[in-house]
Amino acid sequence: MFRRFKPLWGKKPGLKSTYDAVIIGGGLHSLATAYYLAKEQGMSNVAILEKNFIGFGGAGRNTAIVRANQRTQENVPLYKEALDLWPILTKELDYNLMFNNCGNLNLMHSEAAMNAARMNVCTAQFHGVESHLLDPRQIKELEPAINISPDITYPIHGAMFHPPGGVIRHDAVVWGLAKGAAAHGVHIHQQTEATAIHTDGGKITGVETHRGRINSPRVLVSAGGYSAGIINKMMGVKLPISVLTIQAMVTQPLKPVLHHVVSSGMYHAYANQTLKGEIATGAHMDQWPNYTTLTTAHYIKHQAEALSEFLPFLRGVKFMRHWAGLADMTPDMAPIMDGNDPVEGFYMNCGWGYFGFKSCTAAGRHMASFIAKGECPERLKPFGLRRYENHRLMGETAALVTYTPDN
Amino acid sequence: MALTITCPVCGKRNGYEFRYGGEDKGPRPVEEGMTPRSWCDYVHMNACVAGVQKEWWCHKNGCGAWFTIHRNTLTNLEVEGVEVTS
Repeated sequence: MFRRFKPLWGKKPGLKSTYDAVIIGGGLHSLATAYYLAKEQGMSNVAILEKNFIGFGGAGRNTAIVRANQRTQENVPLYKEALDLWPILTKELDYNLMFNNCGNLNLMHSEAAMNAARMNVCTAQFHGVESHLLDPRQIKELEPAINISPDITYPIHGAMFHPPGGVIRHDAVVWGLAKGAAAHGVHIHQQTEATAIHTDGGKITGVETHRGRINSPRVLVSAGGYSAGIINKMMGVKLPISVLTIQAMVTQPLKPVLHHVVSSGMYHAYANQTLKGEIATGAHMDQWPNYTTLTTAHYIKHQAEALSEFLPFLRGVKFMRHWAGLADMTPDMAPIMDGNDPVEGFYMNCGWGYFGFKSCTAAGRHMASFIAKGECPERLKPFGLRRYENHRLMGETAALVTYTPDN
Repeated sequence: MALTITCPVCGKRNGYEFRYGGEDKGPRPVEEGMTPRSWCDYVHMNACVAGVQKEWWCHKNGCGAWFTIHRNTLTNLEVEGVEVTS
């Protein structure tokens, strides 16, 4: 089996000397951008350069939750598009993405949080996204495992219920998009590290890799948590990003007991039961920037304390695996998608924090249009880098949990 | 990952006693001739170095001192007497 191994998405392509577009990073945003470039924009001479293997970073480390209940007018439609794309992509890619449309339940632990949730619900309803408020008794009817008693550290005042959300198998999305992109002619180069970006007279001319030089008039850096470091190192452009390690873990498998994605900003924890029966849970970020992707005992303790209060059936259940990935946090909790500024042909898609998974398909689709046409699509205009110097930061920090070393 | 930081007053202590204060960006820009962009660079922009960087810390749950250290962001280990290259 080792000798005859070939990737699911086709034969290993040779590295060509010229491509119409080169994408640095082999995660979901890159794969989705390449897929839509080839499928919808007629640009299939595209290379993806991945230092490790596709899905090595955030794409394979996130907890696979998808939802469209963000805070601001600019963000909600983008995430809604992504959410609507999952069933379509399952058919289009002919690949089972295992979309479990179980719904998201965000617990609120104060009247102030309920007021914030009210505004989120209004934004969602304005954009045609189903989302509504529940009181503690309705929560108990919906999800009997939740402890609504008033004698816990943060008693539950209510919740925001978002039925269209859920969980998807993240590896399947990586493989499905890779298969789709490769079928349309995209070259996926794994174990190929980009070492420099070449420019000439304010225009992109190519990318240097450890396997040789590639000529290309367009380069997209879409490397998740590694993007900000790469962009600063190769282009000398600093970004308003802090890269933090974020942790997640799963328990031993249990019989079906938790039927929704449950999250709590106050307890800094979320949990959902996977189709295998494990409780996948996470949320903790290191409070200082680092690229270690290492886990901490500090967090296992925090998670055990939090879960045993609001999901008491988990008392005594063992954690089985514990891992971490990177989250590139911006001060306004919204991503940066920009291009042709200051260098023509240079594009970036980063700063997704911990929202990169749920948005990948919609962001990739719009980035593909941006790269092919050279003009920023309307939907991406609010996400430009210059919003920071123009003091037009987005209000996403008012959403559920804010984690950044800036506050 | 666990982290220890050397406070100039209290010595080597557990990292959770400290608050991260951002990358060292040099002195605050002078008010005269300042543009929104130069202010934004100072306030928001980071180098995000994967390697050794100079950074600010405050001994929040201790003596309260503000100081700089060099730390390798790939290992979370404090580095002494190293010149920052990037």
